[in-house]
Amino acid sequence: MSENMGLAPPKSPPILLTREVVNAGFKQQVNELSGQHMDACYQCGNCSSGCPLAQEMDILPNRIIRLVQLGQRDDIINSETIWICASCFQCTVRCPRGIDIQAVMDALRQIALDEGIDHFGPDQISPELAASVPQPGLVGVYRKLAT
Amino acid sequence: MAKIAYYPGCALNERSSHLDRSARDATVKLGFELDELDTWTCCGAVPPVSEERVMNLIAPSRILKDVRDSGRDILITICDFCYNTLKRTNYSIKSDEITRKRVNAFLADDTPERDYLEKDDSLWEDYEGEVKVIHLMEYLRDELGYDKIAGSLEKPLKGLKIAPYYGCVMLRPQNEIQLDDPENPSIIEDFITALDARPVKYPYRTECCGSYLSVSNPDASTRLCYRILTSARNSGADAVVVSCPLCFYNLDSRQKAITEAYSDFKPVPIFYFTQLLSLALGVDCGRQGFEKHYVDVTPVLDKIGVSTGKGDE
Ligand code: SF4
Ligand code: SF4
Repeated sequence: MSENMGLAPPKSPPILLTREVVNAGFKQQVNELSGQHMDACYQCGNCSSGCPLAQEMDILPNRIIRLVQLGQRDDIINSETIWICASCFQCTVRCPRGIDIQAVMDALRQIALDEGIDHFGPDQISPELAASVPQPGLVGVYRKLAT
Repeated sequence: MAKIAYYPGCALNERSSHLDRSARDATVKLGFELDELDTWTCCGAVPPVSEERVMNLIAPSRILKDVRDSGRDILITICDFCYNTLKRTNYSIKSDEITRKRVNAFLADDTPERDYLEKDDSLWEDYEGEVKVIHLMEYLRDELGYDKIAGSLEKPLKGLKIAPYYGCVMLRPQNEIQLDDPENPSIIEDFITALDARPVKYPYRTECCGSYLSVSNPDASTRLCYRILTSARNSGADAVVVSCPLCFYNLDSRQKAITEAYSDFKPVPIFYFTQLLSLALGVDCGRQGFEKHYVDVTPVLDKIGVSTGKGDE
């Protein structure tokens, strides 16, 4: 078990902003898939402060949204955050701008999965777990983390 | 006895059969019967990731349409995941015309005899979201009334302090679920009060237990469950009550890993709300499936003078 209890995730590395990257259409793709408007976010940080899994993430939810605004596709789909989010809707309930951040996370997972890489495969589950976890956990994890 | 259409879902059918059984026992005591659908499939556990994955809506839609076609307009479910999936599917069918058309096109395609053999000449009727999906606890609150429960107790849970645990998908997203206030709910607290026990206030009742991360990232779930359970315990709770099979699994069996990781941790018994209900209504302790629990529930049962009935079955 990692020892990062209660710590904020490390500072994100600097990002490279070019007109090409920002305008490559990533934000529009996320908007379309999630049905949300990324530009509505004003970076209040409410989503991150309420997220029960923030301590486990490498990029906080509000920063994810900011990176989407800036078209930083690679940083996001290679992040741990999108696979650690448990789709609990706490952020969605609390966003003062009415953004369904959970839906954004879903969209980002789908974009990453569309590259054909499963984040979690059937070979990664222990037989004891497979035999005991209630079915919503099994079906849920493969629907969310695998193609 | 009134019969209400009931969708158990995969978990209650098998791994969480004690949730199913205690619910059936309790409702019979309360004067109605959970009438399991003749045929049903898995609902898919989570609604589709995006509109593009309309296929993930088909299974829950077919379940709902079957209920409508059987002439009923209420469907009770208990598992929070099934509840969330069925209710949100119904919501998108009702509120979004494109989804409605696409889903019905798939469903119509699904009945080949209509096209090829023309056996069924009844008019095809699009499913338009007519069925109301209701959580059993919601039914108890709104249709039956908690006061009816309070009036039928054979074994009031007097003296018990119980921490309500809502988790995530029972309440959220609130615009589609509309069961209770997503930040300050009271449906479980009022339920506990109706059983003559005392609800415990603690800050983690709507905080996620890790959900399906239990499979992909068990350590994260262990940390979350430790926080939730310790908070409940420190607030004086004798036990925690849940309605979701996955919450139950995480909060109960994960206590093994929690005990190994945290030396200060003290176990907290976990109950399904239906177990407390059927106990309070006088159903035999031996029917509650307590042998399926990882954490021993005896200290709680002792407090209310119920014999564990170990070996009774
Ligand atoms: S809560 Fe909403 S507005 Fe605030 S940072 Fe998060 S997404 Fe942006
Ligand atoms: S849905 Fe994901 S990002 Fe939002 S609060 Fe829950 S775990 Fe955090």
